[in-house]
Amino acid sequence: MATILVHIALVAYAAAAAAFLTWLVRPQTRLARAGRALLAIGVVVHFAAFGVSLGVAGAGLGVPAWKGGQLFSLLAAVTVAGYLVLDFRYELPVAGAFVAPFTVAVMVPAHLVESNARAIAPEVSHSILLFIHVGAAALGTAVLALAFGLAILYLASERQMKSKRPGRLFARLPSLDLLDRAGYRLAVWGFVFLSLAIATGSLVSREATGLTFPIAPKQGFAVLAWALFASMIQARLVAGWRGRRVAMLVVAGFVLLIGTYAGLLSAAPALSGSAT
Amino acid sequence: MTLICVGLSHKQAPIAVREQVAVRPEQIEGHLRDLKALPGVREALLVSTCNRLEIFAIAETRAAAQDLLETFGPVAAPHAVCRFEEEALRHLFRVTASLDSMVVGEAQILGQVKDAALQAQRAGALGPELSRALARATTAAKRVRTETEIARGAVSVSSVAVQLAHKLLGNLEGRSILLLGAGEMAQLAARELRSAGARELLMANRSPQHAEELAREAGGVHVSLAELPALLERADVAICSTSASQAVVTRDMMAKALKARRYRPIFLVDLTLPRNVEPSANELENVYVYDLDDLERVAAQNRDLRAAHVGKAEEIVEEELKAFLTMSRERAAVPVLARLRAHAESLARAEAEKTLAALNGLDEKQQKTVRAMASAIVNKLLHAPTSRLRAEAGQGPLGDAAAELFGLDGEPQPASATKATTVDKQRGDDGAVLPLLRRR
Repeated sequence: MATILVHIALVAYAAAAAAFLTWLVRPQTRLARAGRALLAIGVVVHFAAFGVSLGVAGAGLGVPAWKGGQLFSLLAAVTVAGYLVLDFRYELPVAGAFVAPFTVAVMVPAHLVESNARAIAPEVSHSILLFIHVGAAALGTAVLALAFGLAILYLASERQMKSKRPGRLFARLPSLDLLDRAGYRLAVWGFVFLSLAIATGSLVSREATGLTFPIAPKQGFAVLAWALFASMIQARLVAGWRGRRVAMLVVAGFVLLIGTYAGLLSAAPALSGSAT
Repeated sequence: MTLICVGLSHKQAPIAVREQVAVRPEQIEGHLRDLKALPGVREALLVSTCNRLEIFAIAETRAAAQDLLETFGPVAAPHAVCRFEEEALRHLFRVTASLDSMVVGEAQILGQVKDAALQAQRAGALGPELSRALARATTAAKRVRTETEIARGAVSVSSVAVQLAHKLLGNLEGRSILLLGAGEMAQLAARELRSAGARELLMANRSPQHAEELAREAGGVHVSLAELPALLERADVAICSTSASQAVVTRDMMAKALKARRYRPIFLVDLTLPRNVEPSANELENVYVYDLDDLERVAAQNRDLRAAHVGKAEEIVEEELKAFLTMSRERAAVPVLARLRAHAESLARAEAEKTLAALNGLDEKQQKTVRAMASAIVNKLLHAPTSRLRAEAGQGPLGDAAAELFGLDGEPQPASATKATTVDKQRGDDGAVLPLLRRR
């Protein structure tokens, strides 16, 4: 049942991506509206799939076994939900043109690795800390993915404004001020969730392996990304940095964060304990 | 009935002629009443803008065009163009969709046409024919605006400056505008920015007296040019148009101001020659310098973009026009149908009554059966002709042939007396309004 629901969500996301990408070429309001509606349908069905999946597992808050793709699937759902909130606040269909294809791009490989089940160490499988860790990590990554998207849009728009030769996309883009403000706010929220994810992650790791900060690519990338976001926020607050510099730092921070997920997929993750 | 359009625009007449025929807003309703009083004129609409004066009228014959033309007076009449039927309708659609405007895609014309319709309604000059045509023209115009990029992008230097300021700063409410110098184009841009919500208008000029005067007129604040470094820390948009022979705003000055303003973005618009702002200031982060050439290039790009979408816009207009004409012709076919059905049913009813009188002694149920049989014969007989007349939509010869064949001259009987089906009644009522384009 859950798989069917995930398939339906994926189809809705793909249709939303098509609507938003067509909107880029032909900016008709109804296309953007259709894209939003499809994303909303997709995300509701997607979360329902998670509900069904948890119900079937009968695990309550605990996560007895994470299939490799499930975390990416959750990440995609949270990103879409975050985008819908962002769009409601700022009306950003152009961001939808990036979020929807991004979601499809994350969901398809998530499906492909679904069979690769990874057992969670029994010491932590029903830990509330693990639940908070996974939730904060998914939320943080989703919010930072949106910040990353806005940073890319900012850099593209700023480049066109500086070059004084605005292209076709320029007309669809919101103001630089909006992209900068919204991107910064998202980066701050992402930083908060990332901090929480790192803190709870280290506690979970101690429970599972006895090591608070195990030396592994996943943890290394996460701490590097955290440090970069921290310095960006500090530069903004103290020196007033904004615009291109901040956008580039957000891009770099998110790329490092992706490295964390690459680490997660690599061998011997700390949380897996005596994994398969 | 025929649709006539008599009008002139910037394409046919120079401004000296157009200003002679321009109708002031308060005169329009009176003028419309005069037009409607002309012989044979049933409905009238007057679209008067700074670039055009167009009269659209529904008249009994094309001869009314001559009377309408004479209202333009001896100077303007030779420049005016008369259009009839489909051509007049196409012109209405194109005007409303801003395809006939001086600046193609400009937004005002749709509002002006809607205002004209309201005025015609108030003057009692707007009837069902023009109302229907206007409604469809408005639909076409809206489609053109949403489905093409014909209305996107500013096309004048001052509006490009305002548009770019929006692109950089978003909402201009609460923003500070600095005006250096008192060039006409700079004032125009400053006024547009102010009306877009800018909170503060700071005006600096070499002649303090002139600046003070301008500040008073525009609702701004007069400031001294000597305070320029501090002003650059404060302003969000600076419009420069001084007659200085060298740069007034230098890269170094801007670099210092940038730190003080904590890298808040600033838009520097340079509207003079020699340039007032050092072009290299554009290399600084969060500083955007646009000179006249840059603004003109963007305006030209937007004009090209609009021009590229004219073809698509014309297609939409033609599509809507075609759909409207088909609807009009269908409506034109309906009166023949209504008359045919009324004629047949009245014959059937008369014959049934005659038969019932001869068959004296039938009970109520039997009488009802005889009447139902007569009605069923009529329905079966008329089924094929009805389908064919509807399919023909008033364009072919069948409508006239049916009228001739069945001797259907004259008005149809009231719908209530015909016992026609609901659809037919409705169509018949619509058809009672004289069709705009009965036959091509």
